[in-house]
Amino acid sequence: MITETAPRSRLQSVVPRVSTVARLVLAAVFIAAGTLKAIDPSGSVAAVRAYELVPAGLETLIGWGLPFLEIGLGLLLALGLQTRAVAIASAVLLLTLIAAVVSVAARGLSIDCGCFGGGGPVPPSETNYASEIVRDLGLLLLAGWLIWQPRSRFSLDS
Amino acid sequence: MTSSARRAREQARQRAAAAAKRQRQRRIVLLVVVISLVVLIGGGIAFQAWRTLRAPSAAPTTGSPSLTPVAVTEGKPIVLGTAEAPVKLSLYEDFHCPHCAEFEEEYGPVLSDAQDSGKAALEVYPMSFIDAGSAAAANAMACAAEAGFGSQYYQGLFANHTLQWNDDQLIELAKQITPVPGEAFETCVTSRGHAGWVDSINAAADAKGINSTPTMFLDGTRLDLASLTPEALQTKIEEAATTR
Repeated sequence: MITETAPRSRLQSVVPRVSTVARLVLAAVFIAAGTLKAIDPSGSVAAVRAYELVPAGLETLIGWGLPFLEIGLGLLLALGLQTRAVAIASAVLLLTLIAAVVSVAARGLSIDCGCFGGGGPVPPSETNYASEIVRDLGLLLLAGWLIWQPRSRFSLDS
Repeated sequence: MTSSARRAREQARQRAAAAAKRQRQRRIVLLVVVISLVVLIGGGIAFQAWRTLRAPSAAPTTGSPSLTPVAVTEGKPIVLGTAEAPVKLSLYEDFHCPHCAEFEEEYGPVLSDAQDSGKAALEVYPMSFIDAGSAAAANAMACAAEAGFGSQYYQGLFANHTLQWNDDQLIELAKQITPVPGEAFETCVTSRGHAGWVDSINAAADAKGINSTPTMFLDGTRLDLASLTPEALQTKIEEAATTR
């Protein structure tokens, strides 16, 4: 039999708790962001259009579908189902969103990211690319932690 | 072979079988998760398509159904209610702005009362910064005002604010209000008869520095909508009407 030989260190009991917090914070942010966008389908499509990255048909699909992807990932994180796989998907999504904001900033467009509803063009003085990117990097850090330490307390996986 | 070696091999076999079973279960769970996610996203897209492309629901029939044609003048708002009313309420809204729809739901009854009682006239500046549907709806709003059912059309547009506002939907909404909106109205909608006026309203709002909707002025004074309540608005309207 393989037995736990290492003493149950303090670290071992802390890590799953940190993972639980990471999981729930990421879940809350995704569910809030998705819901706020899903309320307003035309606004959501307009927010995607403002990025000027994808053709018109795709703008509609992303504007309508992305909020539900976020809600779905958020619900899975909240339940703690397949945490590592969901964390990988979340990290990919966050990287894509960060890349989109970086591309907007680089092209000199002035828009609101529409991350939590709203979005679309804004006056140049009202862009917040730096804080939007920093916030998404913070979320990416949480997703990264969950890829590394997917086991957490109060999850369906355990 | 000793019996203990046999036992050890038997245990190893069982462990391997248990591990394989766990692996299979994990794969099934992952598959279920992926399928659920795909169904959720597909269902979400279908739901939004329905919310956007369905026919408008019946427009509310509050407000006087008197068909009084309203003039549409470049750069000037559409006036709903009696033009001689003592109080002027100026409203800057986009027909696709969700906050504007919420605002209408909350304050609509007070605004209708004020129009019906002749205390206030509503000056509507329909801005169109969200999308093409905003502009199409603003144009149709002008067409409806000209045809004489502006008040009801205005309420109908906000009651159905998630719609895309293609020409069919804009004409269908008019049919919910008046069985025969008329050839002139339909042509006005499909040919964007008031496109110039729509541009002039956006320019007028820009010139006034309006950068968020809804924005409301009572006799030229901007009201702070964050702290306003429908009751407080009613009081303000009545006070302004009596001091006139």
